[in-house]
Amino acid sequence: MKRRDLLAGGAACWACSLVHSAWAQTPADLDYAMPDRLTQPDPASDEGGLWALMDREERSLRRSPFAVRDGGLKAYVQDVACRLGGDHCPDLRIHLVRTPVFNATMSPNGMMQLWTGLLLRIENEAQLAAVVGHEIGHYLQRHTVDRLRDIKARSAFGQFLGLFGLAGAVGQLAVLASAFAYSRDHEREADRIGAILMHQAGYDVAEASRVWGNLLDELKARGQDPELISPLFATHPAPPERRETLAAYAAALPGGSAGDAAYETGTGRFLDEWLDDEVKRAQYAETLVLLSRLLTRRSGQGVIHLHRGDVYRLRGEKGDVDLAMADYQAAIRSADAPPRAYRGIGLTARQLGQKTEAVAALSRYLELAPDAPDARLIGTYVAELR
Amino acid sequence: MNKLLVVALAVVLAACATVRKVESGSRPVGERMTMTIEGDWNHLDYPGIRPAQIWTMEGVTIDEFLIYSGIRDGQVMHPETPASSQKKNIVFRSNMQIEDVVAMFEGLLTRDGSTFRVISVEPYPFAGGQGFRFEYERIRKVDNVQQRGVGFGAVDRGELFALIYQAPRLTFFPRHKDRVEAIARTVSIR
Ligand SMILES: [Zn+2]
Repeated sequence: MKRRDLLAGGAACWACSLVHSAWAQTPADLDYAMPDRLTQPDPASDEGGLWALMDREERSLRRSPFAVRDGGLKAYVQDVACRLGGDHCPDLRIHLVRTPVFNATMSPNGMMQLWTGLLLRIENEAQLAAVVGHEIGHYLQRHTVDRLRDIKARSAFGQFLGLFGLAGAVGQLAVLASAFAYSRDHEREADRIGAILMHQAGYDVAEASRVWGNLLDELKARGQDPELISPLFATHPAPPERRETLAAYAAALPGGSAGDAAYETGTGRFLDEWLDDEVKRAQYAETLVLLSRLLTRRSGQGVIHLHRGDVYRLRGEKGDVDLAMADYQAAIRSADAPPRAYRGIGLTARQLGQKTEAVAALSRYLELAPDAPDARLIGTYVAELR
Repeated sequence: MNKLLVVALAVVLAACATVRKVESGSRPVGERMTMTIEGDWNHLDYPGIRPAQIWTMEGVTIDEFLIYSGIRDGQVMHPETPASSQKKNIVFRSNMQIEDVVAMFEGLLTRDGSTFRVISVEPYPFAGGQGFRFEYERIRKVDNVQQRGVGFGAVDRGELFALIYQAPRLTFFPRHKDRVEAIARTVSIR
């Protein structure tokens, strides 16, 4: 068995649990006592074998070039886990993985993975706590893999040839996630425990349901009803029900803070890189919904306008040129005015035949970013326009 | 390269792909492009690779030489499969500028979750006219291999012609880079 596949499936849960919902009744049991710290099960048992496998996977993850190694960011997220997990804090190890997809996974040995596409979409510390608390719920209850399907060979092949359009690794992971998903009852239990842990740690539980609402908005932007997008959605209760369940928990567990400022401070300097990765997905309709939502943040406006301008410029549909230009102009008026916004203005003006504006903006870009990878291309454009 | 991957690849290649040798000399690719190669390449063909051709020196799990010849306005680049059909396809448009073409390849080459970082982009002669050249680094998601890549191309009468070569950055990319540069210099479009 290939370890990575087992991990991708066995541990996947937050994204796939999008398909498990169906519980819109008023929650009854809002007390939860954490178990004592967990110990490694007998290696001869199934669970012990999985645990050992996950330990090996964790060692390889530490060496992976996709692992985010920034100490400050890791410490920030780990602190949130410790606020939620209490005595279990030393056993919960959070790994951040650079992949522009919304997903989180939990392994029975205490290894949690959060993908950067999730961190990009989270709006505040309470929403982060909602995801992390849910995963901790699986861990504390020792939820085990409910279903296994033998699709490993297929997925390995699909990942390798993903570039050529047979199937992307990322899409494949989603398929794996659904194949290895926790049971619906386990997802419900993790949601309940997550909400209680959030509340105990002083977070506003209402933010948990907003995570789902935001995801739904992006899915709808694909131009399809979320329930029709995938067979998974068609055969399971709709995500809105889950959002409602979490909203019901919030009503029963009022108070707490959202922690917007703390989240932006903790993650803000990665916004540019995560947005770069997001724009490269070339899924412009969804990304536009995300970017417009991100503009409600308190910081990073320039970087967000820059990327929305790039999305319009790259999409190139009717009217997009004007929208791109407006965003680039907004970007250079922002406090964080990124140099690449001048590049965007210059490239857009060049396409519109506005030579003077193009020369001015592209020259400014080269002044601010002389070592940019495209400096020679832009330099040639300036020379041709003069 | 892990064993399972190689086995899976071998099984599928046996089922639906063909490999044939491309020998030194002048080789037409598509209707309008011709290029001259030195040394033998292996041309791998299977349905999912179109509209490109893929050639390899060391084996397709190691190095990949992607050849695009005469891609038309509105043509889909490596269509998404039903399994991932909820995603929008990446499409070539004939009014794309150099930076747009590079962004398009960036989108294609990260679709499997790999990272991609442009190192340089510059105007560059191609097929007797003005084209472009770019270099990049890529970390392949499936096996964490650190690759280096180079691309050449031009849009000629509304059609895209491009060559992309990528290979592990320490051994194989340096070994074959000059060979690929030489091929790029021999491209002619009629
Ligand atoms: Zn879950």
